[in-house]
Amino acid sequence: MTTIADREGELAQALRRLERGAKFAELLAEGGTGQEVRLDTKSTTLTPSPRLRGVVFRVWTGTRWAEQATSELEKPQIDATVSRLEAELGRASGTAPVPGKSANTKGSWATSPKRSLRELGSEQTIALAKDVRGWATAVPGIIEVQIRFAWEESERLYLNTAGARCHQKVERTHVSIAPIAMEHGRAMYDYWHYGGVGGLEQVPALSEPTIREVAEASRSMLQAKAPPTGETDVLLDPGVTGTFAHESFGHGTEADQFVRDRSYLKPILGQVVGPEFLSIYDDGTVPGGWGSIFCDDEGHRGHKTPLIERGKFVGALHDRETAAVLGAKATANTRRSNFMSRAFVRMTNTYVQPGDRSFDELVQDVKRGVILEHWTSGIEDPLGGQMQLKVKKGHLIENGKVTDLVGSMALSGKVLDFLKGIRGVERAKGIMIEPGFCGKGHSDYLPVGSGGVHLLSRAIVGPA
Amino acid sequence: MTANASSSGLAQRIADLVKVDAPWEVVGERSSRFEVHLNGTSVELERGPITVEGYGLRIFRPHGEGLGTGFQASTNLHAEGVRAAADDAEAAARYAEFPARSVSLPSAGRPGAEVPVVDPKLWADPATAVRSFVEALLAPFRGRKGVVPTFGSVKATLSDLSIANSEGLHVAFPSTSVEVELGVKAFGGAEGAPPGEFWVNQLVRKLDAERVAPAVDDWCRYAEDVRHAVNPPNGDQAVVLPPEVLAGILPPVLGYRFTGAARLRKVAPSDGTTVAASSVTVRDEGDFAWGPGSGPYDDEGTPQGKRTLIDRGVVGPLLYDALYGSAFSTKSTGNGVRTTVGPTADLRFAHRPAPGATTLVVAPGEGGTLEELAESAAEGILVTQLGWANPDPISGTFGGEIRIGYRIHRGKLAEPVRGGTVGGVVLTAPGAPSLLASTEAIGSRPELADRLSSPPMLVRPLSVAGA
Repeated sequence: MTTIADREGELAQALRRLERGAKFAELLAEGGTGQEVRLDTKSTTLTPSPRLRGVVFRVWTGTRWAEQATSELEKPQIDATVSRLEAELGRASGTAPVPGKSANTKGSWATSPKRSLRELGSEQTIALAKDVRGWATAVPGIIEVQIRFAWEESERLYLNTAGARCHQKVERTHVSIAPIAMEHGRAMYDYWHYGGVGGLEQVPALSEPTIREVAEASRSMLQAKAPPTGETDVLLDPGVTGTFAHESFGHGTEADQFVRDRSYLKPILGQVVGPEFLSIYDDGTVPGGWGSIFCDDEGHRGHKTPLIERGKFVGALHDRETAAVLGAKATANTRRSNFMSRAFVRMTNTYVQPGDRSFDELVQDVKRGVILEHWTSGIEDPLGGQMQLKVKKGHLIENGKVTDLVGSMALSGKVLDFLKGIRGVERAKGIMIEPGFCGKGHSDYLPVGSGGVHLLSRAIVGPA
Repeated sequence: MTANASSSGLAQRIADLVKVDAPWEVVGERSSRFEVHLNGTSVELERGPITVEGYGLRIFRPHGEGLGTGFQASTNLHAEGVRAAADDAEAAARYAEFPARSVSLPSAGRPGAEVPVVDPKLWADPATAVRSFVEALLAPFRGRKGVVPTFGSVKATLSDLSIANSEGLHVAFPSTSVEVELGVKAFGGAEGAPPGEFWVNQLVRKLDAERVAPAVDDWCRYAEDVRHAVNPPNGDQAVVLPPEVLAGILPPVLGYRFTGAARLRKVAPSDGTTVAASSVTVRDEGDFAWGPGSGPYDDEGTPQGKRTLIDRGVVGPLLYDALYGSAFSTKSTGNGVRTTVGPTADLRFAHRPAPGATTLVVAPGEGGTLEELAESAAEGILVTQLGWANPDPISGTFGGEIRIGYRIHRGKLAEPVRGGTVGGVVLTAPGAPSLLASTEAIGSRPELADRLSSPPMLVRPLSVAGA
């Protein structure tokens, strides 16, 4: 199969054509390969990643950006796409300068997984999945199990008229297991999932004891009590803390929302928003991080950006345009979901840095509260500053002790109140970045990582 | 434009290049998307046409006691590209296992449902139609004080889907769809209250400028009310849910649990059991006019139609696609649906089909208007918008943060509420409390919201976490 790089000659030629009529032009060509294995008690499905590829061109018309994209990388279709953009440039009458500074990064990068699922092959992957199925369904009460092993290598070539050329191949691996328990017509499940940039080395070893533990956790969900309802102390597990960092805080730091006057955080940049022991970062360079990238889709090298350092809100995430408007530097956070989607300011890996208290100390600090475990989703409120986090389960904390298992719930609150109310962050040698997908608004999903450690604050919770 | 008027022959063109001695199916799609992105009342970016032409190829091979199904999608339309996709699908079929002896694919000759799913003005001149709609969307904001749009986009997709299979089927049909997203911000005033936002997100088949102006009035009012809202009262109470909120709750759960896929995994409700209040009747209507899930045929080429899933509280027949139908020795019900989530959600050809709901319809009740339902509730809350209900199809749980709602006091809509959560279970074991079982009244006026047509519903009780 021809790669995107094989098409570079035609693509570069197209860019040179656009350069004749535009002050700036760029393109992102995209392709990929991969495979997904899904297995349950009734079926096995193996699906190769679609052979999709395409290119998007963006030009500055003198008043605004214009874009065209096509899934066909043959010369006639590329020429037709470029001709449409040329016509648009011909109609444009603006003379405004191109906003921001154009990147001129040059390089070629590829991930090198130590234990690639691709090399493991279909047969052995299915055999491993069948082992997992056997271990899970051996636990009484487990009627079904959903298993997924997937890898995908994304190839992206970015070129612009300022001389940038970024060619990157990023391989991601993801494994998830969800044993389903059923009793008296009620179905419940817990889950286990890991993933990252690289191969199976990003996933903890799959063993019978591990899978039995997950299956037993699913079964125990049938006996879970109802979660508390109302305001209470909340201890977020590391994954939930990461979801908080991303959804509740991170989205408000995307500087395109500053430019739109749509962020509750804009007026308080530079102010103290949390305790001294709280720091939050977005970092596209975390080794193995699910959201890691070599370059963003404007040609900036991957970057670590402090958002909160020692309690102070110190930074936002920028593309070239927001950086120009707000007098900042681009932070390598411009990302497209794919060649069909526009570029936006997006996060990469967003996490809360470890603090200085042990898990036991955090629990002992709680008279009545709940631990929120195993995140399922979150959603942002960039202007209003409210927060919603959802989890699969939790445990009550009563008088400094972890007690009963409780069922799925949602957390609600004001982000700034939640930050001010943080009473402790767990110490740890490192953090695990968990895999997820994030949209901008309600579309444009792309891989992002989030992580952290246990974090104690206060919020409203209720069954969900 | 009516159904079947499409001239697309992509599926047949690809099928002519496929030489397979087993049952097969090709779905081809040619789509063009036009987008306008907004920053306030200014156009920030125009995109399009974004053209994608591709196909998905499914091959069915006997495998052990069952069937091996292989699928691959591609945008390479050349002979070598089709061969490569077919090789991928064959390789996948060798490893796949599914509990059916054979598959019963739809055959030629069955007419599709007569249902409008193409906006003719949009189809004829998409760029102009989208620009005109954006102008109509922004016009009501001009001259208003203290309310502006912030983040927004209108994305219109013209899709030409064609399906061919080894049974001689060849159908083709166009459709249009539009995603409208808009953040409406209220600000200013003497009180110094922080700004408030109402976040609009709609999926429709056609651009309807006439409905925009009155809707903008509501959005502005909600944005202003956000600024003064307080947490709802804590505890179980009566909750009124409008169609826009129900659209985020019912389809994901019912659209999975009432299918052959759920039956195979033992999580479908049993036929004839009571799972809802006697006032609840829910149908799947693939021929519902302008429904985002409606169309003349499903994504396998079977004509879409009507199925009653819940009849006055009692579980009816389930929904099947061709493959799952074969597992239970029954025919497809016209519910082979290709996914609409994830990074390639817009590309139906890139996904294998699975049984799912098309457009769900909750039958109107006798509860009257939203205000009359509030009167029936006496005390409780109306939830106008949730953050994200994000229901779990298997456990049936749902819930999220209240982004804007209203307290119901002495039967009247009272002060705005915001924050806190509302949640519960959509559907659970017979006899146990759930949203459907605890439905006390259903309004009389249905509205189409996303993939659901429903009146508002009064549920008593749901769990509300508040102050």
